[in-house]
Parts: sequence; C-alpha cells; structure tokens
Amino acid sequence: MSDFLADPDEVKEYSPRFRLMYVVIVCAIAIFAVRLWYLQIVKGSELRLFSEKNRIKETEQPAPRGMILDRGGKILVDNRPGFIAKIVPQYVEDLDAIAKVLSEKLDIPAATIVQKVKSSRRKNGAYWPVKIKDALTMDEVARLEPLKIDYPGLDVEMAITRSYHMERNGSHLFGYVSEISEYELARVNRNRAAEDKLKQGDIVGKSGLEHVFDHELRGVKGLEFVQVDAHGRAAASQDTELLQGMPEFIEAEPGQNITLTIDADVQAAAYKSITENKRIGAVVAMSPKTGEVLAWLSAPSYDPNEFSQGISPKLWTELVNDPFQVLRNKVIQTHTPPGSTFKAIVALAALQERVVTPASTYHCPGFMQFGRRRYHCHLRQGHGAVNVYKALEQSCDVYFYRVGIALGIDRIAKYATMLGLGAKTGIGLPGEVPGLVPTTDWKKRALGEEWQPGENLSNAIGQGFMLASPIQLVQAFSIIGTEGKVHKPFVVKKIVGLDEKVVLQNEPQFVKQVADISPENFKIVKKGLQMVNNGERGTAKWWKIPGIEMAGKTGTVQLFSLSADQVFAKCDARPMRQRHHGWYVGYAPANDPEIAVAVLAEHACAGSSGGGPIARDVMQAYFQKFHPDWIKPEKGQAKAQPAKVEPELPAPAEGEE
Amino acid sequence: MALTMQVEERTLFRRFDLNFALVVLALNLVGLINLYSATHGLQAVGLSRLFINQIMWLTIAWGVYITLTFIEYQILYRVAYLIYLINVVFLVLVALIGRVSYGARRWIDLGPIPYQPSETMKIALVIVLARYLAGKSKPEGLGVRDLLWPLTLLAIPFLLTARQPDLGTAIMQLAVVGTMLLFVRVRRRILVICALIVAVALPVAWSFGLKEYQKQRVLTFLEPGKDPRGAGYNSIQSKIAVGSGRFLGKGFRKGTQSQLEFLPERHTDFIFSVLSEEHGFVGSLTTVGLFCVLLLMGTGIASQARDKFGALLVVGILSYIFWHMFINVGMVTGILPIVGVPLPLLSYGGSGMLTTMVGLGIVSSVSFRKFLF
Repeated sequence: MSDFLADPDEVKEYSPRFRLMYVVIVCAIAIFAVRLWYLQIVKGSELRLFSEKNRIKETEQPAPRGMILDRGGKILVDNRPGFIAKIVPQYVEDLDAIAKVLSEKLDIPAATIVQKVKSSRRKNGAYWPVKIKDALTMDEVARLEPLKIDYPGLDVEMAITRSYHMERNGSHLFGYVSEISEYELARVNRNRAAEDKLKQGDIVGKSGLEHVFDHELRGVKGLEFVQVDAHGRAAASQDTELLQGMPEFIEAEPGQNITLTIDADVQAAAYKSITENKRIGAVVAMSPKTGEVLAWLSAPSYDPNEFSQGISPKLWTELVNDPFQVLRNKVIQTHTPPGSTFKAIVALAALQERVVTPASTYHCPGFMQFGRRRYHCHLRQGHGAVNVYKALEQSCDVYFYRVGIALGIDRIAKYATMLGLGAKTGIGLPGEVPGLVPTTDWKKRALGEEWQPGENLSNAIGQGFMLASPIQLVQAFSIIGTEGKVHKPFVVKKIVGLDEKVVLQNEPQFVKQVADISPENFKIVKKGLQMVNNGERGTAKWWKIPGIEMAGKTGTVQLFSLSADQVFAKCDARPMRQRHHGWYVGYAPANDPEIAVAVLAEHACAGSSGGGPIARDVMQAYFQKFHPDWIKPEKGQAKAQPAKVEPELPAPAEGEE
Repeated sequence: MALTMQVEERTLFRRFDLNFALVVLALNLVGLINLYSATHGLQAVGLSRLFINQIMWLTIAWGVYITLTFIEYQILYRVAYLIYLINVVFLVLVALIGRVSYGARRWIDLGPIPYQPSETMKIALVIVLARYLAGKSKPEGLGVRDLLWPLTLLAIPFLLTARQPDLGTAIMQLAVVGTMLLFVRVRRRILVICALIVAVALPVAWSFGLKEYQKQRVLTFLEPGKDPRGAGYNSIQSKIAVGSGRFLGKGFRKGTQSQLEFLPERHTDFIFSVLSEEHGFVGSLTTVGLFCVLLLMGTGIASQARDKFGALLVVGILSYIFWHMFINVGMVTGILPIVGVPLPLLSYGGSGMLTTMVGLGIVSSVSFRKFLF
C-alpha cells in the first residue's frame, strides 16, 4: 500500500504543462467555433442552396406543340404520346454494362451508346440526359422498365411525338420537326432572353410551317421538381416532412393552334390524284377572290412522322440524294419556264398594246422562218388562219412567235410583271424563289449580252429565260380569272392561343385592281382559256367537270435542246429525267372563278395529260364539297368520260425553238 | 459498524466524479439521437439494426466504465506489458487471419463480434507508456536513450496497423504517443532533429510509402474542387451538409444531405456532418463545447492525480480523445484532409465506443483516487 502514501507533490512538477493543455484545448475548440461560424453562418445560405440543388432536380416537361388545323377545323397535325430511352451520365455506375444491356434490348451497337454518352458528358456536363432511342415501342418500354433499378442512370420517359395525320400528303407545307442541331442552337440563342433560350434536345420545326411558326407552335415547357438521392433516383418519401420547401410543379403550356386556309378534302383529292396518275411535281389551289390557298402539294413527298420518330441516317441520305428532290417544296421553291401557259399573258399584252385584235389573224403553216432559222409549231401540219381565241385554244406557237416579234420582250415583261411574275408572292414560307421575267436590260446586266430578236420568239411561248413557280402561275391565272383583281396569297387563316385567344387573324388582302389592262381584253383572254377546256380542238378538252366550265392553259417545258426529229419523237420513250415538264394552270367556273389550280407535272411529257386530270380532280373535289348543286352529271356522257382515261390523242409537245 | 458503512457509502458516492460522468453521458445521448437519425433515413434499410447494436455496446461500455472507476488503477501499472502484449498478438492475428473488407485487413471475428485490435491498442499504448514515463522525470527532457524504448513500443503496433492498411489509426497511435512524450518533455535538440527528419522523409514517404488512394486524399484536400464528383466528393458534400444547417439546422431527421445519402459514411466518420446539418450552428457548437468541457475536466483530473502514473494515464487518454475529435471535426468541416478517423462517443462502432469508454473509465478511476484538499 506504499503507493497510497506517494508524494502529494509528485504531480506538481507537471503543473505548467497542464496550463498549456488548457490553452491548447481552448484554442482548438475556438478554431472549430470559428470554422463552424464561417461555414454555417457566413456561407450558410450559399451552402443551403447547394444542398437544395443536390436533392432537387428540375426535369423539363415538354410542352405539346400546337395543332395545325384545316379551314374547317379538321386536325391535320397534332401530337401523340411516345416513349424515349435516355441515360443520365452522372448517375451511371457502369457505362459499359448499361450499353451492353441496352444494345441487346434496343438493337443499337454498344460502342455507339458509350461514345454518345461520353461525348455528351464532356460537352454538356454529367447531369444532362442523353437520348438513346426515340419512339420506343410498348414492347421495348416493357423490356427497359425493370432494368432501371439495376442500372442507375437509365431512364424511360414519356415524350410527345409529333403526328402528321396526312402522312406524306402536304409534308412540304407542314414541314417536320426534329432535335435542334448544335449549329442551330448557337445561332438561335444568340439574341434570345435567357428564359427563351433553347437547349440541346429541344424539338424544333425544321422546315415549312413548323419552322416559320416554331415560336407560336412550341409552347412553354413545364418544370417538374423531383427530390433525388445521391444515386440520382427519385426519392419517394413517406416522410413528407423531408419534402418541405419543394417548389410547385409548373405545368407546360401547350403551343398555339394554327388554322390554315387549306381544305383537307381538296388537299386529299390533290394527293390522291397525283399519286394515282403517278406524277411528280407540284399542285397548288387557291381561291382567286380571296387569295386563300386551298391545297398545297409537292411530290415526291416524305413522311414527316419519320422525322418525329428520329429519322435513320440511311433514310435521311436517301431523301437528300433523291434525284427528284423529295425535300424541295416545289410549290414555291421550283421555278421552270412556264411554257405555253405564258401565252395567256402574252395574249393580254398583245391585245392591250393593240398588236392584235380579236379579229386579226396570222397564218400558221406549221413553222416560221426567222432569219436563218426555222421555228416549228407543235402541230407539224400547221393551224392555218389563227386568231387569238384559236391561238390560245390550240396553243399555236406560230401565232405567238409573230406576236412576240411585234411586242418585243420589254413590253411582254411589263405585263408579266403586272400579273405577279418575276417577284415573290410573299406567301411567307421559307425558300420562295422569285422566278424570272427577262428584259433587254436584264440580259445586258446579268449576261452582258445584247438581246437577240430571235429570243422574242422563244420567250413569247414561255421558253427561254422566262421562269415561274407554281404559286406565281396560280396567282397570275387568278388575276386573269377575276379580270384584274390582285389578292395576296396566304395559307395561315388564324393562330389561336390559350383560352381561345386569337393571336393572329389573316383577312383576305386585296392588293389592287390591275388598271393597265382593260376588262374587255381580260374577257377575250378568258374566252380563249375557256376554249382550251371546252373547245372542240382545245388542248385540254379531255378534262371537264359536268355542269361547271373549266378554263385554263396547258404548257410543256422542254428541258433539253433537241433536234427537230427528236422534238416529235415519242417523249415517253426517253429516260424519265429527259422528259418534258407539263403544266396545267386554270380555274373554274370559267366566267366567275371560285378556285384556281396550278399543276406542275415534272417529266410528264405534256401539260394536258400530265397536269390536266390532276387540276380537274382538285376542282371537282372543291365543288363537290362547297357547291355540290353546281355539278350536273350529264347522262351517258359522264360514264363515257371516266376520270383517269388517257386522251385519245396525247397532247403533243408544244414548245420548241 | 452501520455508521461506518454509511460514511463509507457516502464517501464512495462523493468520490465518484459525477460531473465528469454526466458530461460523458451527455455526449452519449447526443451520439445516440444523432445515430438514430443517421441510421433511419429514407433509403436506409439495413442500418436501423446498427442503432440497436450501438445501444447494446453502450450498455456494456457503461458497465466497464463503472467497474473501472472502482478498480484501483495501480493494477494497470502491474499488467501494463501484459495488456500491450495481448494487443500485439491480436494485431499479428489480424495480419494473418483478419477479415478483409474495403481492401483492408482490420477486423478479427471474436465469435459473432467483429473486433478491431488497432483501436484498443491505443489504450494499451497509453498504459504502457504511462508506466515507463512515470519513472522518467528529467527537468531537461528525455534524451535519445530514454526515447528508444517508447519508440520501439510504438513502432510495433504502428507498422502492423499501417500495413493493414489503416493509416488513420496508425497516425492516431503516433499522435497519442507523441503527445505523451512531449508532455513529459523531450530535449529541444532532439525535437529539432525530428522536425528535420520529417521534412526530409515526407517527400520520400510520399513517393514510396503512400498508396494511391492515400495520395489522392491529400491532393483532394489541397484542391477539393478539382474533381467534385470523384475524389473531392466526400469533402465537398460534407461541407455542404455542415454549412447548409445554418444557425438552427434543418431539424431532426430532416437533413437532406444525410437522409438522401449525399453524405458518405454518415453513421461513422461523417456523423458530425449529420449533426451539423440537422442541428445547425447551435447543435454543433454545443457538441464541440461538450468535448471542450470533457477535455478541460480531464485535464483538471490529471493535475490532481495522486501520482505521475495516474496523471500520465489521463493525459494519454485525453490526447486520444482530443486528436480523434480534432482530426474528425477538422476533416468534416474541411480544414483537414479526409482521413478515416471516427469521432469518439458519436460515431457508430463497437470497438471504438468500448475503447473510448475504457479510457474514460480509467480517467474516472484516477479521479476517484485523486487527492482531496
């Protein structure tokens, strides 16, 4: 027990060190107090924000795009639900494993998935979801759902898929949507407010109305706030207290609905007719008294639904390289020589300039000698004595050669311009071409050459330099049909936003009355155009609507300079790409038109057989819907004249030099 | 006779350091409340069992604490080397037949109970060093010859622990021994030489001694923002958790950082972050304050110890608690690199809890036998 009797002062020796210990302890605690004060008081709010960002993830709810409706309110374009598979890289534990299992279930190469995720992670950050596959089938959804638990980062999400009810019909007018490209993203966002900026993965209109009215159609994305755990999985909380302070769900605001002037039935008839006649080219129908476009078709066409579902590179390459330009909106983006349809305008010019009168005639022996060249008429044996009516009805080239020489190109150009050629109509869709109305000045300026007198001949029959688009010709013939009333063509009737609020309402826009052409001269030309469809030897006499008189003009556009023999050789025997284009532009009823139609039948060899039946079908569909009482089936004849019959005498090639 | 008994009982009760025990109990309760929150999160399915385990361990630990209080601590003087030897044997056993988890061999299974000898080794080192140093009283400080034996005693467990690998625990052993040596005083010349050796040895150790993940931790501490999703993740998430608690905290079991598992190891090494997040500046300062009171009271007990052995025992145990707390809290608040060191009395873990309570029981025992003035 000697220990108990130890020296009581033994520990005294340590006393200064105990004092040091007190100091060290208090100092250490003071360091912590300061550090805690700094983190929790000074930086507290900032770090609280970080902790909220950690757990609260915003997910964007895509807004349903606005619908596109026809003039009667029929839905042409809307949305349907779809599913997409995506990967959020930040939550991925084993990318190779996910890629492997996805490649098995979705039939995508694993390497592609890995590469896609890695490159997105590098570019957009780890939190950004990477879309792996669009438009999953229900079967694929069912296969992927159970994988979500074992493969963090993998997600199957509802998405909205754009749906085009008419499929290939009218796709050039509606356009298509797809994911915004990086190049576009940089360009579009340059001048946008932060909340209006687009993000990668956003769906935008790429062409047609989808592109022009992208902002109106797009709507406002909603925001959903999800509480997630450290593994990026939504934390379903029984403990609702933990959900305190979660922001409210912000619902997506659907896009605005666009009502078009298009009539679904007329549009359908146009598509049906061009398909059944196996033609390519463009069809546009317009109401001459208002400028409302009733049908808009370009062929060959594509199915915009393929784009909404994520187009395959193979299909895209096919579309881009198609020899007949699938992606081109030929109604406004193609201009070709108007061919003989231009004779209607030359006739107006000649009458107004008093170069001819209705009574005056020219003799057509089947050709005309001008200088050292012989200019042929399409009818080898000639038309004999030809006045303006007969010249239009039978499309006599020699008559218009003579008129062309008498008028000169500049006077022809004056009237062509008056009827809207050579300038964009301003329809408001992208890529409209202005066409071309040549003048002597123009040739000097553009080509640096003098105008040759011989060129008056070819341009007078709509060949040569003259270029016009289908929309321009339908407008020009609308002006003729209404005896000089110019209406601006338009395709969007109104745009309606939330709560039926009308955002935009387009009324028919009467631009002017063509004052420089007398009503009498319009009437003379209209009579000639009426004879094209109704005269005994009219170039489009095979195309009639019982009870309603059609009027119009055919045209054939020679694409290659051919020798005289080849001109009369059978066009159908040539390769498709070398065949003539056919035009038919007309309106009905002939005296007081309700509808005007321009048909460009590419490589159809002739205007009458190429464009005529299609224009007739479009008009017929229009009258069946809006004026069924006007149609009077003529007994016997109605049956003797089936719609799709080939003319007994195919309209021969007209234009030539 | 009856009277004597009564006096003895009263004395017994009076001599029991109730205040010290209450501070320990307070820290235990803070620990339990906090551990409940950390183990009963939204997703934690397998963790709630740990809370029950901890209560069981705590009950045993208090039994040990009270028993040790009434046991004459001089017995430890006699069995010091035996205790040390047993621990060394266990450490060797771990190296031979220990259980591997997370790439390290640290545990050995005693029946159903996982036991970590490197933890209890810290107390064994305190006892064996207290015994040795109590006899070495030199006003000028310890010389080289005096240091040879204690450093040998340290080297054996240090190397065994470091190669498990468990650098955190090894460094703790070093810190405890170092503190005790410094307390007894070491000659200034030796200290200067040591400092020089460390300065030279550090780069060498960096190149050859440290494992890749250990280097990574240090680098991460120096620049945590470099790879926020990778190596710096723990440090950043812990700071966010602590800071986001602000003044009053998010509330019991409402810490989103811990409940949603953004905090790693939240029931062990990062338990203090859970507390700071849910109870804010008030809660964390209170807890740190309780540690401060515990350490100051402990220092008071050491200064009143009956003999040098008792004083050195207390100093060693206090240094054990101090360094653990300093490194752990320093780590979770981002002023020190991430080292796997638990927070005494708060972190989950049977070996750690028992070791700490054994240490505190010895302090209580020293207090029980202090001089009464």
